[in-house]
Amino acid sequence: MTLSPYISGSVIDSAVALLIVDAGTAVNAMTISFFSEGAHHPATVWVSVSPTTYTHELITQAGRFSLAVLHEAQWQIAMTCGTVSGRERDKGSALDLYRSPAGFPFLAGALASTACRVRQTMPLGEHTLFVADILEADVESRSHRRHLLVGDLLGRAQ
Amino acid sequence: MYASASFAQVSLDPPRVAVSLNRTYALEAAVGKERRFAINVVPVGQSRVVHRLMQLRRRQPRKAQLLGLEILHDRHEIPYIANALRNIFCEVEQVVDSGDRRLYVSRVIESRINQVLAAQRPALFREVMEAGSRFAPVRRLVRTVLALSGVRDLARGVLFALRPPPPPDIARVTYEMAGATEAEIAEILRYDLVDSSRRLSIPRAPAVVRRRIGLCVVGTSWGSFHCQLVRQANPAARLFVCGQDPVRTARLAKAVRAEDWFLGLEKAVHDDRVQALTLALPHYLHRQAAEMAAAAGKHALVEKPLATTLSDADAMIAAARRAGTILMVAEDMHFRPAVREAVSRIARGDIGEPLYLLAHAGGVRRPRGWAADRERMGGGVLMDIGVHYVRGLRLLMGEPDSVLAARAMQIDTRIGGEDSVQVLFSSAVGWQAHMLCSWATNRGHTPDIVVLGDRGTFHLWPGARYLDYYPVTPRLLPRLLSLARPYRLRDWLVRPSLQRVRVRLPDRDGTGYVAEVREFLVAVAEERQPASHPVDARRDLEIVLRSYEALERGERVPVPSYIPSQED
Repeated sequence: MTLSPYISGSVIDSAVALLIVDAGTAVNAMTISFFSEGAHHPATVWVSVSPTTYTHELITQAGRFSLAVLHEAQWQIAMTCGTVSGRERDKGSALDLYRSPAGFPFLAGALASTACRVRQTMPLGEHTLFVADILEADVESRSHRRHLLVGDLLGRAQ
Repeated sequence: MYASASFAQVSLDPPRVAVSLNRTYALEAAVGKERRFAINVVPVGQSRVVHRLMQLRRRQPRKAQLLGLEILHDRHEIPYIANALRNIFCEVEQVVDSGDRRLYVSRVIESRINQVLAAQRPALFREVMEAGSRFAPVRRLVRTVLALSGVRDLARGVLFALRPPPPPDIARVTYEMAGATEAEIAEILRYDLVDSSRRLSIPRAPAVVRRRIGLCVVGTSWGSFHCQLVRQANPAARLFVCGQDPVRTARLAKAVRAEDWFLGLEKAVHDDRVQALTLALPHYLHRQAAEMAAAAGKHALVEKPLATTLSDADAMIAAARRAGTILMVAEDMHFRPAVREAVSRIARGDIGEPLYLLAHAGGVRRPRGWAADRERMGGGVLMDIGVHYVRGLRLLMGEPDSVLAARAMQIDTRIGGEDSVQVLFSSAVGWQAHMLCSWATNRGHTPDIVVLGDRGTFHLWPGARYLDYYPVTPRLLPRLLSLARPYRLRDWLVRPSLQRVRVRLPDRDGTGYVAEVREFLVAVAEERQPASHPVDARRDLEIVLRSYEALERGERVPVPSYIPSQED
């Protein structure tokens, strides 16, 4: 298996999440480890996405996205959504998604799903940083499972 | 140093990371200024260290030192932690304002993996939070069993059917957890980002006397107590006694099994058997006696206060410096075990941010003779007793920046100085301290020092070999008893004492007197400066004199900044 540069080139063993964008006609999902909390007040997250991706195109259009933090047993979801482009396959239809009260697609069983609206966009060359306000969330705070980490995917890929 | 879970990579080529830093922490200002920093990824095996870091006060200086972490520097000239899983050296490229945090987008200069720890994964936030609990493994096991067996889902299903939970309000939760509005940040930043007011360090453990030295106790009144302390500190010490009255001096010498006794300080300082003296003399005689000792090349432990004026204090310090002798002030507060323990616990965040100190000292006393004379005493109860608590204040809270003083009516009209006074100290870093010194009233059964912080309170009892700690978070027993009904039963059961944690101290002497004399003896034997330096005693005196000025003027008086010289 070809190792994703996001695994081989990772300098931080970060948590892994699904970046889900509702494009109106279809829902696309992309595996991401380039994300983190931005602020506690206002509640903010940031994600960093390559401009070459379909997800980047969709976020730019929609101005909103969902971020679903995966647990260790969800590695297959991460692998699937991280190896195929949404331009080639409808990845959303294969996921167990449900709608938040405001209509954002959330992933069933994720440690946390957050609904985000882009506040600031910052081009960083080969990636774009999207800073977004968290509008709503569903948190599975009592899960006995830990976060899925980039290192876990590396172990699986090897 | 700052514990963060809010960082991740933002690009691959060149590799960049972004870290979100809290604007109310000194580290954010430092990164903003230096533009270079290191992310030290902690392995799961060291979760407890990160937990301890998170428990430290936000403004605590020297955090790495307190946690026993080794800080290294190399060619990048960026401080980093040894034994991290990974050290990522970064240079800031862009700063994004993101509310109460600032996002630092930074280029990775080097990412270094610690091969020894490579088998471990990074510590996760939940593991760090649980690391402080003794029962964390049990809780984790119970949680896993309940989850895997389906009991948890069943219970939650029933519970949610009975009382549907409100939808999670992430904005409110994150704000409540650690967020701050702009107005709140401005309020927090009114005080320094680092509590730089603490200048004194306290000895970690009493010194051990290994050499036998010749020591003469000067003064036969309070000097008799000094003799007892010397005997306890080092039973093998060669003890001498010096006084004015032959009968009294000889009697004391016999009682304490002194090797010899002297009439007059002249004889004592010039005797070859005497290497050091303790001066238990009236305050106004301290300078003369200390200068005589220094001139004769003898070390001196002088009773507090160091002197009655700053010029006398300066002359004493200068004389000791010229002669190359040790001058130490007998300030037991510096060696009081409960103070040492409280200082250490404040540093590790047990009471959170120390906000108030209440000191109540004294007890009914009617001084006579020189002590009743304002000039020879240097004042009244504030000079005699208050000076101890000024040292306690400086150890426990830091250096005050201003002082206000007031007093009630004089009861003992036969003394020149005040027989009671209350003083309010304030610091620019945000704490206040109230000190009541009185020879006119009785304290009753109350602690002499109370330190109050936003996460807990310490009660320090005079001479006690323990410290009482009252955490703000309810302990298990009061928490369980608070469920009792009817309310009258609950109120009867839940008592404040149940919240008390009595911290037993290993020291045999709860006062600090013996440790203080031991420190002097060891300093003399090892020819080193004592843990309690005379310049610190001069500072105590300066604060007391400023308090008198505030009392006379009836207004708040600034206390000069304390900047010990390099020589000190």
